Amino acid sequence: MHTNAASSDIFDNLRLELRRGCLVVAVLAQLYTEHYGYVLRKALEDHGLAIDENTLYPLLRRLESQGLLVSQWREEEKRNKRFYRLSPLGEEVLPNLLAEWRKMTSALERILGGRSLAAAPRSASQDKEER
Amino acid sequence: MPITNSDLLERYMHAVRFLLPEAQQADIVAEIGEDLQSQVEEREAALGHTLGEDDLVALLKKRGSPAKVAGGYLPERRLMNPAMLPVYWLVLKIVLLWVYVPLFAFVFLGPVLAVARPGELLLRCCVEYWRAAFMTVGMVTTVFALLDRYQVKFQHADSWNPRKLPRVPGTQDAMTRWKHLAGSIFGVAAAAFWAYLMWRRSEFSGFPGGSRIILGPVWKLIYWPVLGLTLTSAFFDLLSSLYPRWTRVRSGVRIGIDTGLLLLVAAVLKAGNPVEFAGWSLSARDLANSATSVNGSIRIILIMVVVITIGDAIHEILRLWRGRRAKPAAIPSMQYR
Repeated sequence: MHTNAASSDIFDNLRLELRRGCLVVAVLAQLYTEHYGYVLRKALEDHGLAIDENTLYPLLRRLESQGLLVSQWREEEKRNKRFYRLSPLGEEVLPNLLAEWRKMTSALERILGGRSLAAAPRSASQDKEER
Repeated sequence: MPITNSDLLERYMHAVRFLLPEAQQADIVAEIGEDLQSQVEEREAALGHTLGEDDLVALLKKRGSPAKVAGGYLPERRLMNPAMLPVYWLVLKIVLLWVYVPLFAFVFLGPVLAVARPGELLLRCCVEYWRAAFMTVGMVTTVFALLDRYQVKFQHADSWNPRKLPRVPGTQDAMTRWKHLAGSIFGVAAAAFWAYLMWRRSEFSGFPGGSRIILGPVWKLIYWPVLGLTLTSAFFDLLSSLYPRWTRVRSGVRIGIDTGLLLLVAAVLKAGNPVEFAGWSLSARDLANSATSVNGSIRIILIMVVVITIGDAIHEILRLWRGRRAKPAAIPSMQYR
């Protein structure tokens, strides 16, 4: 039998895996319009998708190295900021990713059918992150 | 001296920079610095005053340690592909077994028994053993890490054949493996003991009263055959532990070894008294009684060896016979859970 701490750990790990792919899609979708890191994070947070800085910035670099984003250092409000936006390759890939995402969510809806699954109490790390 | 906010930020950025790849240091640190500055401004706007030292410390602690921040930018590293781990463990065990069992039996055990202060030598041997163990583990690990790094594939991914996959091992196989491995280790130890104890020996002396046990000529005669037979048995036990399904070969070899052992015992029993007694402090009658008693014990032990060996040989013959009569097994039904 699992203890509460163990089940919370398992949930946190599964949630992390679930979020990993979603975050990529969300970041790419948000960067249809140009943003710098701080504003991008705020915009995602405003849409209900909180993301840690230590996750966002390395992710942006990875997506840029994959050619999905382009970036540019530019001065704004007397400070140098790095602005990101979708590259032509990113614009080509994102619709396919979104189509895949919709296919998965509709499949999941069909699997769940009319069943309503009661949500378990939220984990401590989840609460902390969203604060 | 109080630390200013810019000092704290510079220290933090410097610590992060130190852990980043050189080519990306400036770029990444500039971006992190810009983000921190934005956070400071947002916080100051919310509070309505400049951030104090404690506020900035709290903000940096929330951001994470320099190692954590830098870690996000570093590529994931691993020593080897997890898929290689089972092969790695297997190779490591085999190498350790092949290197250390003979090493222990022939290099360490012999001197320990021979020298005047075995405790000291044993300690030295243990140190050497650990050193050698670290070297072996290090070398095997390095080889596997290099194989993984340079993407060496043992087999082309598409060229595998389901027919060539290893058989499913049963619990019986595991038990057989361990039994034969134990037999092999015991065999090597027994051979080393025999080699050391009987090498060019014609008598055992040093008993109280100056008594000596004089070995009969038959012991010289059987010295090499006993050593050869014991090592052969240990070698086949090792092979049996690696290939537990070679039952027919194993039974055949076992019967051969049993036959050889029976011939050797017969030679000792036929040769008359295996040992004689001598000593200036004992009377002729006492010497004769001691010799009778010891020779009687040796004969009883040899007869017990004969009985056990014949029993083992019959067991192996029956196993061979059953193996010939057995029908091929049907394909078992599979149950998926």
